[in-house]
Amino acid sequence: MKLYSATIPGAALNIRSREAYYAGQKQLFAVVVILVAIVPLVFISWTAARFYQNSWLAKTSAEMQSLAESRGELIDLFLNNQENLLAGLVELYEPAWLAAPGNLEKLFAAMNRDGVIVDLGLIAGDGAHLGYTGPYAEHLKGKNYATAKWFAEVMENGRYVSDVFSGYRGVPHIIVAVTDPGRTWLLRATINSELFNALLASAEVGPGGDAFIINRNGEMQTPSRLGSTALSAEEKSLLATDRALAVHQSPDYLYAAAAIKNSDWLLVLKTDINSSLADFYRAKKRDNLIILAAALLILAVATILMRSMMNRVEGADRQRMQLYDRIRHSEKMALIGRMAASVAHEINNPLQIIGDQAGWLDELLDEEKPEALKNSAEYRTAFQKIRAQVKRASTITHRLLGFSRSTEGTKSRVGINALLEDTVSFLEKEARNHRIAIRRNLDPALPDITTDSAQLQQVFLNILNNAFDAIGKEGAVTISTSLTRGQIRVEIADSGPGLSPEALGKIFEPFFTTKQAGTGIGLSISYNIVERLGGAIEARNGKTGGGIFTVTLPVGDRPKEDTP
Amino acid sequence: MNLSAILIVDDEPEFVSPLVRRLRKRGFDCQGVLDGVSALAALRENSFAVVLLDMRLPDLDGVSVLREIKKNWPATEVLILSGHASIRDGEEGLRQGASDYLIKPVEFETLLEKIRAANVGSPAGLLTQDNNINVLPNT
Repeated sequence: MKLYSATIPGAALNIRSREAYYAGQKQLFAVVVILVAIVPLVFISWTAARFYQNSWLAKTSAEMQSLAESRGELIDLFLNNQENLLAGLVELYEPAWLAAPGNLEKLFAAMNRDGVIVDLGLIAGDGAHLGYTGPYAEHLKGKNYATAKWFAEVMENGRYVSDVFSGYRGVPHIIVAVTDPGRTWLLRATINSELFNALLASAEVGPGGDAFIINRNGEMQTPSRLGSTALSAEEKSLLATDRALAVHQSPDYLYAAAAIKNSDWLLVLKTDINSSLADFYRAKKRDNLIILAAALLILAVATILMRSMMNRVEGADRQRMQLYDRIRHSEKMALIGRMAASVAHEINNPLQIIGDQAGWLDELLDEEKPEALKNSAEYRTAFQKIRAQVKRASTITHRLLGFSRSTEGTKSRVGINALLEDTVSFLEKEARNHRIAIRRNLDPALPDITTDSAQLQQVFLNILNNAFDAIGKEGAVTISTSLTRGQIRVEIADSGPGLSPEALGKIFEPFFTTKQAGTGIGLSISYNIVERLGGAIEARNGKTGGGIFTVTLPVGDRPKEDTP
Repeated sequence: MNLSAILIVDDEPEFVSPLVRRLRKRGFDCQGVLDGVSALAALRENSFAVVLLDMRLPDLDGVSVLREIKKNWPATEVLILSGHASIRDGEEGLRQGASDYLIKPVEFETLLEKIRAANVGSPAGLLTQDNNINVLPNT
């Protein structure tokens, strides 16, 4: 015969390795959830943030560039206007007329209605001051500009626009000068450059924005709104690399530069990337928190689902394994039953012959003359002993046959309570002798069932005998019956020492016994019988000690049919 | 019909031989055979009150021999005596008309009782009364 363990895959796996398998499955599931659900979430959020940041940079760069360009053009236009105004005066008037007292003052008054021009001076080709109108007449009286750098430049180029300086007045201003075509005299005007500041103030971009003008040396021509008085070394190198209209980026700032005043100056717009993106960063932080929460939620839900699923799988596996165990056990029982039967058969025949031959000899002895046989009495005793031993051997083989026969039987309607009472009556004398009390806790409402009363009685007798043996002397056996979940439940509890763990595992195996003279067949026969009757038998230890045997029997269902 | 005639059918001569002698000693007209064909042949020649039948025979199986006996000699009682385990053989035997089913080893006294019981219960049987088997001295 084939044992099922060899043919059912997975049945041989023990619980421990199954647990490792479940743990592995759980981990795998967690990894899959993270990969499938959380990674894309994080990836999407990351790319979205990057996309937003880059598009903000591109948009802001373009805005700043066009703003720098337009403001630069405006400043160029303003400077050109001042220059052209002086050039017009040079063309219109003779120096002699201008030098005449009162004329320069009249022109100045006409030109300076908007307060942009601070003063106006007439200077000869040799650098001598021919005339001046403005607030600083005292300071400049008799001053010669022949050695001034700007004077040399204007005499050479015909026109000149200075950088911004504070000069004597402590107010930022620039000088614009234009000569006549023959380079014999020139007009020089001081321009209030605070107008630039107003033009630039409206060009600031963003909360951390700044706008200023630098010269070729990187010196500030207008005050920085943020109070910086000089460019950082980094800014200098960044802005020096390209004087053309361009956008530059450092880790923290975005710059847009436009060349003005014939590339003498650079108009710079500066934006603090971080403070401009502060709202965005806040939103990003919030998004990250939401994503984190979503990820945790997904993980939690997945874990809970996984756990309940795995528990279900585990439960099903456990049930299946218990089923396999039962199948294995009954297969083993059947195998042993067949072996027992064949052994019993092989031994029964010779036993019969031994007994009969001995009996025959015993009878023949009767025909002998007693005086001719001096050992006649010995012979008789020997024959008796042979027959006694045959009888003893036959009880063992008959038990073996009983074991293998515990798979067969006949059925009728049986009242379990009455059957138990009947069984107990066999043992009452023994119970009295051993001072064992038999307590009954029988449910009177128990229905009759169709089962094999003789075999069932054998089962109860086996269990009760075992209980008596476990108790020895003095104790109690409690027999309880009840109807639980459509099954009749018979519980036989003893006040003995209980079962050892080894005994609990093997108690229903044939030939397992803890008794000196036991054959180890009784309970395995009981196991087979109960199983054949569609019920179950189990042994456990009570909470307060002592062994408890429970037999459950089906009520409504028909007992299992005998299988050939 | 010879009401004290007993036929013993068993494949082991060591079993058959002392039994035949012991029964003869007690006044039974006893005959032993070792297989099913011989058993049926013996039944055709003589009539028997009781047949002691083993279920395992070298040629025919016990149940068919039993069926044959009950078909042709319904008055003959059959006692099944087997060393084999299966109660199904016994049940089948009883269904086919055997009067009892015994598992070896059986004490000679028990066997005598069963033979007597089978005979008393049979329609043909007054074996014990005719022959006073149970009062025969054990000498």
